[in-house]
Amino acid sequence: MIQSVGRAARILKALGSESARLGVTELAERLGLAKATVHGLLRTLEAHQFVQQDLETGKYRLGPALLQLGNAFLDNHELRARSLLWAETLAGRAGEAVHVGVLYGPNVLLVHHVFRPDNSVQILQVGASIPWHACALGKAIVAYLEPEGRHELLAGPLPRLTGRTLTTRGALGAELDRVLDGGVAVEDQEAIVGEAGVAAALFDNRGAVVGAIGLAGPVERLLPDGPAADAVAAVKEAARGLSRELGAGRLATPGAGA
Amino acid sequence: MAVAVAVPWARPSTGPGREAARIVDGACVRGWLTEVAGSLEAERDYLTQLDAAIGDADHGINMHRGFTAVMRRVGDLDAATPGMLLKTAGRTFVSTVGGAAEPLYGTAFLAAGEILDDGDTFGPRRLLEALRASLEGVQRIGAASEGDKTMVDALAPALAAYDLELRTGGSLETAVRAAREAASDGARATVPMQARKGRASYLGPRSVGHQDPGATSTSLMFAALERAVLADRTQRFAAGARSRGSRP
Repeated sequence: MIQSVGRAARILKALGSESARLGVTELAERLGLAKATVHGLLRTLEAHQFVQQDLETGKYRLGPALLQLGNAFLDNHELRARSLLWAETLAGRAGEAVHVGVLYGPNVLLVHHVFRPDNSVQILQVGASIPWHACALGKAIVAYLEPEGRHELLAGPLPRLTGRTLTTRGALGAELDRVLDGGVAVEDQEAIVGEAGVAAALFDNRGAVVGAIGLAGPVERLLPDGPAADAVAAVKEAARGLSRELGAGRLATPGAGA
Repeated sequence: MAVAVAVPWARPSTGPGREAARIVDGACVRGWLTEVAGSLEAERDYLTQLDAAIGDADHGINMHRGFTAVMRRVGDLDAATPGMLLKTAGRTFVSTVGGAAEPLYGTAFLAAGEILDDGDTFGPRRLLEALRASLEGVQRIGAASEGDKTMVDALAPALAAYDLELRTGGSLETAVRAAREAASDGARATVPMQARKGRASYLGPRSVGHQDPGATSTSLMFAALERAVLADRTQRFAAGARSRGSRP
């Protein structure tokens, strides 16, 4: 490990974890480093526009170059690029918000989000990170992982996010089997009270699961009496179409032929 | 309207230097709901702004819409007991509000209503039990503890402060004041917290630095409770003075 790169990364994370700006002294204290060291690192980061100094207060905040990198990450994300059209179509058809996510450690990272098409104010959730076991996207993905991957995640921490989160290996294992049977994962207020999700896994040309696409919305609309049949059909169709575009064989979608 | 109240201060006091336990009736609960509705109307945009920073930008809209419906429904009830009023509020909430506010506040009101049952009045102790039932209901659904940056961070300290004030000889008035102060402090204390529940938790460290909208709406409800209790007392004083004055 290169020490200075590690320190620079810690500075960026510290600045990213506070909406307030931080001064050299605060940063040095927080990271347990000498002020001169922190100052030097900040000057270098500033030269690359990774941080910015506030002229009035002298304090530092994150810089614009990070936004470009973040956007580049999303733009280069193949799944995101390929999913744009399918996600838009799904949102229009179902009248609900659409999420596309990939597994990132024990969390699902949202790489794409299409707003519910009703002109209401909504907040972009791209970049949000949701524990896999609490959301439809995560359960859809993990159900199709190789057994080792599935075991590892089931053995990891399964925090309770609401009163309905499944937090035992047994309950989640059974839930994943249900996903394999039905081809869709359902989330009933397991991540957020009042919110539901229906999602299906996405596969690449080797038949390996690479992410999931799904609907997210109020529980009373998405799961009026169990999952709404048309929502399930729309999600499955979008997932199948998108998987095909990602190179998965026309008939080789795992689970579809089972 | 001649309010035939059993004027509390006409009853024997329960101890040296202590006021007799104040009672709350349907009119006072109705007054509280009216205060809450007014306050949610006034703070609708503020709550939505708070929610836009870390949630889905709909909390103010949802709460306002929910309470507008509550007031319509409650207005249709003529003579209702406190329990009936709160249960009606809870059911209306569940059927009209979207987002997390619907099941959480709906359950809080329903649970409180169940405790008050169909008695015409209740005392400060009973209110404590109702608040406790609300907190338990909210925690059962949301699985949130104090420090998770949710409405529990206003509700739990308010309940604790109310309890302490009553235990240490306070009156209903001083207890609801203590609850209001604790709820408001609790809501402000959510600013530096990192959310561990709800949509805000998806943001991870980015949720730090914003006040939680749910804790804020809860603190508005305690402020409304204090105003309603004080207004009710003022009215009773006036009624009491009139009835005493008219005595031959």
